[in-house]
Amino acid sequence: MTATQERHTDAAATRTINLIQAVTETIAEEMERDSRVVLFGEDVGARGGVFMATAGLQERFGPRRVFDTPLSEASIVGAAVGMAVRGLRPIAEIQFADYMGPGFDQIISQAAKIRYRSGGQFTAPLVIRTPSGGGVKGGHHHSQSPESYYTHTPGLKVVMPSTPYDAKGLLRSAVRGEDPVIFFEPKRLYRASKGEVPAHDYVVKFGEAAVRREGTDLSLIGYGGVMPDLEKAADALAAEGVSVEVIDLRSLVPWDKDRVLASVEKTGRAVLVSEAPRISNFMGEVAYVIQEQVFDSLLAPVGQVAGFDTPYPYVQDKVYLPGANRIVAACVRALNY
Amino acid sequence: MIQPFTPEPIRFVAEDGTPVQPLPERFTPALLRELHALMLRAREFDRKLITLLRQGRTTFYAQSSGMEATQVGLARSIRVGHDWVWPYYRDHTLGLAMGVPMAELLSQCLGTNSDPSRGRQMPHHFAAQAQNFVSISSSIASQVPPAAGNAMAQKYLGVDEITVCTFGDGATSEGDWHAGLNMAGAAKAPAMFVCENNQWAISTSIREQTASETIHIKAKAYGMPGYYVDGNDIVAVMEVCAQVAGQIRAGEGPALVECLTYRVGSHSNADADAEKHYRTREEVEEWLGRDPITRVEKLLEKLGHPVSAEERADLIAQTHREVDEQVLKAEATGQPDWRIIFEDVYADLPGHLRDQEAFLRAEQTAQAGQGGRA
Ligand SMILES: Cc1ncc(C[n+]2csc(CCOP(=O)(O)OP(=O)(O)O)c2C)c(N)n1
Repeated sequence: MTATQERHTDAAATRTINLIQAVTETIAEEMERDSRVVLFGEDVGARGGVFMATAGLQERFGPRRVFDTPLSEASIVGAAVGMAVRGLRPIAEIQFADYMGPGFDQIISQAAKIRYRSGGQFTAPLVIRTPSGGGVKGGHHHSQSPESYYTHTPGLKVVMPSTPYDAKGLLRSAVRGEDPVIFFEPKRLYRASKGEVPAHDYVVKFGEAAVRREGTDLSLIGYGGVMPDLEKAADALAAEGVSVEVIDLRSLVPWDKDRVLASVEKTGRAVLVSEAPRISNFMGEVAYVIQEQVFDSLLAPVGQVAGFDTPYPYVQDKVYLPGANRIVAACVRALNY
Repeated sequence: MIQPFTPEPIRFVAEDGTPVQPLPERFTPALLRELHALMLRAREFDRKLITLLRQGRTTFYAQSSGMEATQVGLARSIRVGHDWVWPYYRDHTLGLAMGVPMAELLSQCLGTNSDPSRGRQMPHHFAAQAQNFVSISSSIASQVPPAAGNAMAQKYLGVDEITVCTFGDGATSEGDWHAGLNMAGAAKAPAMFVCENNQWAISTSIREQTASETIHIKAKAYGMPGYYVDGNDIVAVMEVCAQVAGQIRAGEGPALVECLTYRVGSHSNADADAEKHYRTREEVEEWLGRDPITRVEKLLEKLGHPVSAEERADLIAQTHREVDEQVLKAEATGQPDWRIIFEDVYADLPGHLRDQEAFLRAEQTAQAGQGGRA
């Protein structure tokens, strides 16, 4: 069942919230449900996070379970690994995805590998939540999309919701799962992405893409902050009589190969969209698998719309981001091939 | 000679302006007035930039109100344009006092064509080649290891320059901070590490930041002297930093200076309601009572050379005029266009970026043709 379908069956008991509310609520619910869940990071406590994603949680759960750390991502991630190994369920916030750098070694050397190198004797089920992506006038240190560093690291699960429904469902899966999860939150959608969420407890499993709309002429595939632009592009193309299928990957590792391949087999055309720089972009992997496995169905080369291979600029940041126009242009190229 | 590792911050002037030890000779009323003017100018710059923020003409600003003595004192204790500086994002007062033109600073904050950094960094992250003031990085403490390397190069080259590296108290928790100090210590590199300890890292207090009583004491672990200074006493900051710089220049190896100060404003515009969330009005009031600018005014008054109300008002008005003029001039140069996305990524534009640039040029030209943009 897709997210869209599920939402309809629950129409009676839904509320409309935004993406950041979904994050806050889910953390609170998981802390309520499981006393092993602890939350920490820079400024998450009294301040409630620089984006207010953790507002009120310290008051509610006390400073033992929700606390500020020294300014050190290596300490935050490394401590999360140690806590997880010892039986807690840490949710660590890294203030901006751009600042995972100092914690990078802990993520790739410790979190990602402890299960493998210990033969499963030790594991680190933890969640690292972090706002990522551009469009907020942040310059390169507050706008990057570094997901590919992490998708390239075996042992990590990497997800990025674009709707409140998925934020809740994916975050529950992350907290309840047995593996380290890098949970990217597209910061420009924190308040912009609103949607219905059911009142009941549900999860969105990793590795299940959502079909945002069905179509027959082209598969438009993305995740995270670019999803509203995919929708806009699909609307624009629909007005020209083109039927676009819009797919939100939701999780990158694992990713939903089956749904993507089935869609491309049906439509014969794929355009892949992300805002991260293009070289070694995760979508390069998706493109590769498409050409490897459904080459015969392709009516045009797989199109890709990505960020430029430059640091993210402060001025001209809107030009840097792949907006709806650039996505439409890539679709038109595929359609006219 | 000033001693390291004092239990109390070194100070020359008490909060009420009374000297607590004889002022070094060079602190004549004329010099004190000059320092006062620099501090006041920086404070008014802060005020004006907050206004620009409110008007939506810039998008980020980190005030240094309350920290003027630390930054001006440091600026005036080194050889500008000779020594090298690896600053952090709250250091515009340091820059201004080192003679970075206000026009450059404002251009950077506004992201205009007159910004030497080409509008690529978020506001308040400037770089000034003439002053050897290296580009500010948002990433906390990431400047510390490069500063150590800069100093190692100076030693290798046999020049009598020193390297100054500044950071907040929060930065001292990062691994990079420890790595940088350790490296500089092991290499006996001519580096002066200056902690602008304003006691808060956004909402995290120094007590939550470290169990260490002070920051300067950490110098012991890296084999260098650590100095503890009243960062709101400009005489103390300037005297200690100048002596330490002299020792470093003489080949004695690196040192850590902790200037105990306070940021009286918010962390940045993204945190405009500090008192509501994490600190008390009483604490802020207490530190307002230790204001570095008022302290010099009281000292000058005691020395019989008061700054008159008119002089003060003139200085303020002059700064405001200067900011207004420079803002208009900077804005008149316009915003850098899309080409800045591709310039300065590498020394030469590689093929893949040439392709991407050509793609964007075509897109922009087509959109300009339609009379609009995405
Ligand atoms: C590596 C890294 N992590 C987190 C941040 C977000 N951040 C920006 S400023 C700041 C607090 C810095 O405090 P401090 O070093 O004491 O300097 P101050 O702002 O107090 O002058 C934080 C956590 C960052 N810029 N870089």
